[in-house]
Amino acid sequence: MRSVLVTHLDSTVGRRLAKTLYHDPEVSLVFGTGMGPRPSFLDAYREKCAYQRLDLAKARHLTSFFRSERFARAQVDAVIHLPFVSEHRGERIPGNVASLVSETRRLLEECKKHRSIERFVYLSSAFVYRPEPGNVNVFSEDQLLGFETEGDTLVRAWIDADLICQGELNDPHLKMTILRAATIVTEGGEFLQSPPLSRGGPPIGFNPMLSVIADRDIGRALVLALHADCPGIYNIAGREVFPCTELLQNNYRFGPLPVPRLLSTAISLMDRGLGRSQPRQSGLLRYGVVLNTRRAADLLGFEPQYRIEVSGRGSDLRVETVRCR
Amino acid sequence: MKPQGSQLDPALGSDPFTQGDGTLPFLIRLREHTIRVVDESGQPRSRSAPSKVSSGPPDLGPPIPEVPSFDEADEPSGWMDRLAGVLLEREDEERLAVLADNLNARPYDVLGLSPRVTRRALSVFKLLYRYYFRVESSGHQVIPEKGGAILAANHGGLLPFDASMAIVDLFLKANPPRLLRTVVDRWAGSLPFVNVFYARVGQIIGSHDNFRELLQDDQLVLVFPEGMPATRKRAAERYVLQHFRLGFIEESMRNRVPIVPVALVGPDDQAPILYDIGALARILRLPVFPITPTFPWLGPLGLLPYPVKYEIRYGEPFRFYEEYPAESAEDPHAVRYLAEQVRRRIQEMVDQRVLARRSQGT
Repeated sequence: MRSVLVTHLDSTVGRRLAKTLYHDPEVSLVFGTGMGPRPSFLDAYREKCAYQRLDLAKARHLTSFFRSERFARAQVDAVIHLPFVSEHRGERIPGNVASLVSETRRLLEECKKHRSIERFVYLSSAFVYRPEPGNVNVFSEDQLLGFETEGDTLVRAWIDADLICQGELNDPHLKMTILRAATIVTEGGEFLQSPPLSRGGPPIGFNPMLSVIADRDIGRALVLALHADCPGIYNIAGREVFPCTELLQNNYRFGPLPVPRLLSTAISLMDRGLGRSQPRQSGLLRYGVVLNTRRAADLLGFEPQYRIEVSGRGSDLRVETVRCR
Repeated sequence: MKPQGSQLDPALGSDPFTQGDGTLPFLIRLREHTIRVVDESGQPRSRSAPSKVSSGPPDLGPPIPEVPSFDEADEPSGWMDRLAGVLLEREDEERLAVLADNLNARPYDVLGLSPRVTRRALSVFKLLYRYYFRVESSGHQVIPEKGGAILAANHGGLLPFDASMAIVDLFLKANPPRLLRTVVDRWAGSLPFVNVFYARVGQIIGSHDNFRELLQDDQLVLVFPEGMPATRKRAAERYVLQHFRLGFIEESMRNRVPIVPVALVGPDDQAPILYDIGALARILRLPVFPITPTFPWLGPLGLLPYPVKYEIRYGEPFRFYEEYPAESAEDPHAVRYLAEQVRRRIQEMVDQRVLARRSQGT
């Protein structure tokens, strides 16, 4: 029986995870934390679920929490960290993004101090990979990460947090599992953790393929990772892949115009000379991320149970998650 | 001892982190209480959300008509689909249906192939195949009916019509029809529009991982082992095969798939290069900046191929994996030797056809 601490339980993914853990006979307690007040959905799971309002980014709060009587009583032996899926944070505010990296680091440090914690499952993003024109189309777990110094702030934060967790992969006491999730589709048809979809679409002439996964499948994958004795890195995605423009909800017509490299370099130099700086267009907007999930299927036994169905375009776009027959 | 199931007490102590009221932690009352959900017999009901007690189905009136599912809804059909419907014959549609079955009714495969876009493209390229390049082909019996295989061909011409004609040829003449997936140069992946079109019709960027992905999925993969240098060949070097790259031999050995040599005669005549301005190509980051009889004099139109007659010949497959151990894939000398065997075979096949054409005066 496991007693599990879940960070950002008040998020959409946290909600799905709480339900999955609640129905899991191997889990005795779900101790959730979140930035907001106790979410109302937890009322249905009170038998097994406790909640603590907590800002993990604040070192003092985190330390006090781990030393509190409440935490001691919970006898937590596993942690599921959902760092970047909380709706309470402005994902695009650089300060908050940076604090999310520090919270991951501090949380890990606290977990290592508590020897009772044996498992750490971290939900990362597939967008840590480095899509390039000459790179692979389907990313396996061994592919290079996108260490672009001028890249997207959020993606950089994902990479930093991912690397922090990777640093603990060989820890003999804390079994670390990193799940790199594709674009998450909620039951209501919203997309989470997807820079290409939140940045207004790809440039003209590009339409990258994206893997997607239903939020309920994310919950299942996290629980499988919690129980499986296979620490490591795993890609998780649904069976479907879609071109980026089919998932855009803003009546996508034309994105920015791609210009030849010579011209773009000249424009960039001119901008710098004038003291303006523009974020570099990431390869994520051009080349997309499709995941190879064989390792998760073989070692974790993860098979998506929901498929994503898309119809309509632009404002008529309808995205649904449907349970596979 | 950890709390167990229904004996669990979720009140884990006071909450010292409640924000907003400024109360000191030790003064805060316990906020969470145990709620035991019990059923009618008084037993605790665990692991289920509380539900309302109902006494039979309520009268809600007539049922709402069912909304058609995605599968039943008609796909919007644009003018390109209608045009494809006109251009394709019934037999072609049946062959397309066979190909679509391999995708398990998914709109896209993991590499971006779309059956719908492929159908449109095939309808147009079939016209080029029949009336512009007047393709003749033979040896389809060596193409495996199922399972993965590598087709290694010579390459020529500025624009890759040789690959598209080979794709149409196998679609029309292989039995059962098979969709050929071509490995394209990495540079093509950075070209706007071109990269999307290539992906939708099943072409992939040349990396080992992509290659392996296709072979493990039992696909036919067309490679041009000469690579980009083949497109830079001058008119005097027509039909002289360049140095072969080795990746296809390695993947053939690792994935235990045959290599079918393919001779393409015609592409080298479609746009003979008189001179390649390499310096200008490097500045513009292009693989080649050619001078041909029509380019750059006619502008971009000068890049279009001349209406030369194409011939495609499929040779007996090489099954190196039956003769050599899998470890040979890691031996550069062995791989080079095997690649040279394939190159020689293709060169022989090309030479035969070129001589035959010259003797016929075509």
